[in-house]
Amino acid sequence: MSLEAKKVVIAALGLLFLASLVLVQKLEIDRRAVEAKLAPEPVVVPATSRQCVDCHGQSTPGLVDHWKGSTHAHKGVGCVECHQAEAGDADGFDHYGAHIAAIVTPMDCGRCHPDEAKEFGASHHAKAGNILASLDNLLAEVVEGSRVPMNPHSPTPGRPDMTGVNGLASVEVGCKQCHGSKVAMQAKDGRAITVDELKPDKHGKPTNTALLAEIERRDGKPLMDPGTWPNTGIGRMNLDGSLGSCSACHSRHDFSARRARQPENCGKCHLGPDHPQKEIYEESKHGVAYRDQKDDMNLDSKEWVLGDDYSQAPTCATCHMSGNLRNGGNVTHDPGERISWTNRPPVSLAMDTDKGHAVIKDSDPAKRAALLADGGDSWQAKRQRMTDVCMHCHTQDYVASFYTQYDDLVVLFNEKFAKPGQAIIAALRAQGLLTPQEFDEEIEWTWYYLWHHEGRRARHGASMMAPDYTHWHGMYEVADRFYVHFVPEARELADHAEAEGKKPQADAVRKVIDEILARPEHEWSRRKP
Amino acid sequence: MGRLATFFRQRLPLDPARLRELTNEPVPHHLKHWWFCLGGTPAYLFVVMIVTGILLAFGYEATPTRAWESVRAITEQAAFGWFLRSLHRWAATLMVAAVVLHQMRVFFTGAYRRPRELNWLIGMGLLICTLMAGFTGYSLVYEQLSYWGATVAANLSDGIPWIGGLLRTFLLGGDGYNERTLSRFFVLHGAVLPVTMVALIALHVTLIRLHGIAEMRFRRDEGSAPRFFDFFPDHLLTELLIGLVLMIVLCVLASVFPVPMGPRADPLSTPEVIKPEWFFYVAFRWLKLWSERAALLSLGAIVALMAAWPFVDGWIRRRRPGSEASVFVGIVAVVAIVGLTVWEAVVAH
Repeated sequence: MSLEAKKVVIAALGLLFLASLVLVQKLEIDRRAVEAKLAPEPVVVPATSRQCVDCHGQSTPGLVDHWKGSTHAHKGVGCVECHQAEAGDADGFDHYGAHIAAIVTPMDCGRCHPDEAKEFGASHHAKAGNILASLDNLLAEVVEGSRVPMNPHSPTPGRPDMTGVNGLASVEVGCKQCHGSKVAMQAKDGRAITVDELKPDKHGKPTNTALLAEIERRDGKPLMDPGTWPNTGIGRMNLDGSLGSCSACHSRHDFSARRARQPENCGKCHLGPDHPQKEIYEESKHGVAYRDQKDDMNLDSKEWVLGDDYSQAPTCATCHMSGNLRNGGNVTHDPGERISWTNRPPVSLAMDTDKGHAVIKDSDPAKRAALLADGGDSWQAKRQRMTDVCMHCHTQDYVASFYTQYDDLVVLFNEKFAKPGQAIIAALRAQGLLTPQEFDEEIEWTWYYLWHHEGRRARHGASMMAPDYTHWHGMYEVADRFYVHFVPEARELADHAEAEGKKPQADAVRKVIDEILARPEHEWSRRKP
Repeated sequence: MGRLATFFRQRLPLDPARLRELTNEPVPHHLKHWWFCLGGTPAYLFVVMIVTGILLAFGYEATPTRAWESVRAITEQAAFGWFLRSLHRWAATLMVAAVVLHQMRVFFTGAYRRPRELNWLIGMGLLICTLMAGFTGYSLVYEQLSYWGATVAANLSDGIPWIGGLLRTFLLGGDGYNERTLSRFFVLHGAVLPVTMVALIALHVTLIRLHGIAEMRFRRDEGSAPRFFDFFPDHLLTELLIGLVLMIVLCVLASVFPVPMGPRADPLSTPEVIKPEWFFYVAFRWLKLWSERAALLSLGAIVALMAAWPFVDGWIRRRRPGSEASVFVGIVAVVAIVGLTVWEAVVAH
C-alpha cells in the first residue's frame, strides 16, 4: 500500500476519531451540566403522552412546564401513566383516544410508589377529611355558614346570577382545602354522588355500577361537584375509596420533593391562631438557622438524609418524615411516627396508638398494654425516633432535658387549666346550665378559645422551642382566659341559675369551681388585700 | 550583549558548534507537512498539565473530608482557579486524543518497525501512564461519579487473576475505599506518573534522535535522494505554530466549557448511572459485553497484543513480505474503539 493510500486511511480514521471525540465530549458536557444543575435534565415524553404534551403545551403551557421540571418527566413518566382510568371508573372519560380521570389519587400514585402510599394511608394526615363530628366543622357549617337552604335577602348589584347562597362555602373553601373534601360527582337529579354510594372495591372500582348512569355529563365528560373539586386537602376522600392527596405536599405537576421538604409547604395548613406550627418554627432557632442556610441544605438531593446531605437546620420534614443517618435514611410518609404527645384535644394525650394508628384513649394500663402489644406503637418508641433525629446535632442529655421541659409544660397545661376547664364545662352540662347546642353560650366560645387556640399555641410552642408562643401567645392568654373570662362566666351562669330557682344545680357547679380554685396552684387568685 | 555571552561562555564550557550539531538533527522532508508534526502535541499538552497541575496542587487537599471542598474552593474562590482547572481537564482530554492520533499515525505508516520496536513499547508505556493519570486525576475530585468510578475500577481489578487482589489493595491502600485512598491517588497522579512519563518521554526522544525520524516516502519521492531540513529553526517554528494553535484551542475550550462541580461523593448512595472518564468508555462497554473474567482477560490480551505488535507484524512480514495486514487490523481496531466509545456515551447503562 502506497504512502498516499495510507495517508487517506489515516485522515479518514483520524477524522472519524475526532468526530467521535466531539460527540462524546458534547454528551459529557451536557451530562456534567445536568449533574452540576447548570442545565435541566432532558425530558422524556412517552409515546402515549406525546399528544397530551403537544396539545396542553398550547392550551395550558404552565401545567406542561411544571411537568417538564419534574423527576417524572426525566424518567419518562407522562400524563397517561398517572391520569389513566379504567372503564367503569366513576370519573373516567374518553379524551382524544385515552380514557382518563382528572383526579389522581393515592391509589394511582401507589401503583409506582406502594411504600409511600401505604405509610401515608396509615397516617393521621390521610384521615384528616373525617371532621364531620368535630367542633370545627360545626363552626364552619352552622355558625359561619348554613346547613339549611338559604336565599339572598337582597340583590347583589351587577350579579343577577347570584340567586342562591351556598351555606357551606366556608367549609368548602376553608376547612376542606386543608382537611380534604369528600369528592363528589354531580348526578343528573342534582344530588352529589360520593364514595359512600359508589362503594368501591379494594381496587377502587365502583361496585354500585348502576349509579354510573346517573352521573351528569357534558360532552361526555362527567361533571364534578364544584364544592368538592378542585381540592388538594390532605385527607381528601376519593371516589376510589382511597384517602388523601399526594399533591397536598408534592404539588402538581412537578411533584417536587424539594418543595415538600420546606416548611412553607406545611405552612399552607399548619399555621394560624389554633395551630401556628409554621410561625412557631419560624420563631425557633431551627427556623432562624433554616432561613439563614437554606441555600446550603441540598434541598434538591435525591435522598436528603440528615447528617449526610445536610446538617444546617431541620425543617418540618426533617423531624417528622425524612431519613437521617441514625435511622438508616428511612423516610416515612406518616408524620405521626415521631410524635409522642397529641396536643390536638383539650387535654393532651400520650401518643400510644393501636394497630389501626388510632390514639389509645383508655386509661386502664392493662388495656393500653394489650392494645400496644397487639400491633400498636408506644409513645416511647415514637419519642425515640424523634430523639434519633435530634441527636444529629444535640447530645442525649440535651434532648432528654428538652423533653422534660416539654413534658412539664404539657402536664402543667393539662392539670392547671385543661382538666379543670373540662370539669367545669361537664358540671355545667350535667346540671343543665348549658344547652346541648354548642356555641350558643358565651362560655362555650371562651372554653374553645382556651384549649383550641391558646392552649394549643402554648403546647405547640413548647414542642418546637418557641418561647413567645409558649408564654405570651400561649400560657399567658390561657391564664387570662381562665381567670378573667372562663371562671367568672361559669359563676355567672350559676348565679343566673340560682336566680331562676335552680339553687341545687348552681351550688353543684360552684362546688366544682371552688374545689378547683382551692388547689394550691390557684391559691394566688383567692388572696384578698 | 557580547559581554553577557562571554560571561556565560566562560561559566558554561559548552562548545556551541557541538551543541548545534547535537540539537539540530536532520528532519525528513515529509515533516514539512504540519499533520506529520503532531507527535510533539502530547508533549506540549504534558507541559501544560504539569504547570497547571502544580498550581492546582497548591489548593488541593487529598482527604475524603476536604477533597471535594478544596476543588470547589479552587473552582469558585481561587483567582482564575476555574480556568486553571478547566485548562488542566481539557489538556488531559486533548492529550489522550493526541496520544491516540499519534499512535494511529505511527501504526498505519509502520514507523514502529525494526529498529524502532523499543520506542513503540515506550510509547505504549506512555499511553498507559496517560490513561492512569487520567483515572487518578478524575478520582481526586471526589465527586459522586469519580468516587464510584474508582470504586468500580478497584473492584474490577480484583477480578484479574493472581495479582488482582494485590493490585486492588495497592490502588486503594486497603480492602476498600478509605481515608488513605485519595492520598495514594494523589501521589500517583502528582509524582509517580509524571516522573515516569518524563523519563519515558526522555527515552522516547533519545531513541528518536539515535534512530532518526522514520522517513515517509510518497510515490512522487521514489527514485529521488532522501531530503532533509534543519530542526532549527524550520521545524521548531512549525512546532511553535502548532503549540500556539493548541493553546488557543485549549483557552477557548476552558472558557466556553468550564468544568463544573459535580455532587460530592456519597459512599452511602450509589448513583443510578456510573460512568468513568470518556477514554475508558471503550473498556467499560467491553466489560458490559462479556462476563467479568472473560472481559478482563481479553482486555489484557488486547493490550499485550498492541504492545507486541511490532514483533507480530515482523513475524507476519517475514512470512509474507510486503504484507499490509497491520493496516487492516488497525482499521478494525479504530472502528471498534470509536464504536464502543460512542455506544457507551449515548446510552445510560
